Amino acid sequence: MPSVLTTCFHEIDYTNSSVFHFPCGLPGFEHERAFVFLNRPASHPLMFMQSVLTPKLCFVLLPVFVVAPQYRLFLDEEPLAELQLPLTSQPEIGKDILCAVIVCARGNQEPPTVNLLAPVIVNLRDRIGIQVIQTQSGYSHRHPLVPQEELTSCS
Amino acid sequence: MLVMRRRAGESFLVGDDIEIQVLQVNGTRVKLGISAPVSVVIVRREVQITQDENQIAARGVSPCAIDSLLQVLPVLAIPSPVSAGCQDFDESNNLSQ
Repeated sequence: MPSVLTTCFHEIDYTNSSVFHFPCGLPGFEHERAFVFLNRPASHPLMFMQSVLTPKLCFVLLPVFVVAPQYRLFLDEEPLAELQLPLTSQPEIGKDILCAVIVCARGNQEPPTVNLLAPVIVNLRDRIGIQVIQTQSGYSHRHPLVPQEELTSCS
Repeated sequence: MLVMRRRAGESFLVGDDIEIQVLQVNGTRVKLGISAPVSVVIVRREVQITQDENQIAARGVSPCAIDSLLQVLPVLAIPSPVSAGCQDFDESNNLSQ
C-alpha cells in the first residue's frame, strides 16, 4: 500500500482509489496533480488536502457551506468538462461534487481567511478535482473565516 | 493610471513588441487579443491572486496553525459532518480501511 510522509500527520497510508486527480494542478502548484483528502475527527470540520507527491504540501479546507451557507457556485462549460460532469445542468454540492474553500492561516496575529473566490471542486464519483475561479461572483479571496465582530467581542 | 478609449477593432501598444487589440465589445464583456513575445507571461488577474493566495495558504499549514484554527471555529454554526469522499483517520490508526 502506498504511503506519504506528511509534515502535519506523520506517515499516512492511502489506497489508490482514495486519490483525487487534479488534471491542471492548482494555481501556483501546477505540477501537483494528486491529492488525498483527510478528515480527522478531532479537527472536524476541517479537511486536509494532502499532496501525494510533496510531503510538506497540505492545504486546510472547509466545506463552503460552513463558511458561507448561502454560497452560490456557478460552473460554466469549461470546468464542467474538466470535471467530466454533464454540461447541461449545475451539479449539486454534497451530492455530485464537494465544494470546499482553502483556509489561509496567516499568523502574526492576523485573522484566518478563506478563499471564496476560488473554491476547490471535486467530482465525487470520478475523483477529479479543480480549483475554479468564480470571476463573476464578487466573492473575496480573503474572506474572514470568523466575522470581525465575533473576534472583537471575544477579546 | 493611463486611461484610453478604444473601439472594437482598434488596438494599442505596450512597449515595442506587445500589442493589445479590442476584438469585440458586448455589454459588460470585452474580448481582447494580445500579441506578445512568448517570454512575456500573461495571466488573468484573478489567477495571479489565487496563485499567491494558494502559496500563502500552503506556507501557513502547521500543527500549531491547525490548533489555532480549531479554537476559532466554534464561533461558526457547523452543520453535520460533510465528509463525502474523505478518508477518516486519527493518527493512531492507519487509513487503509
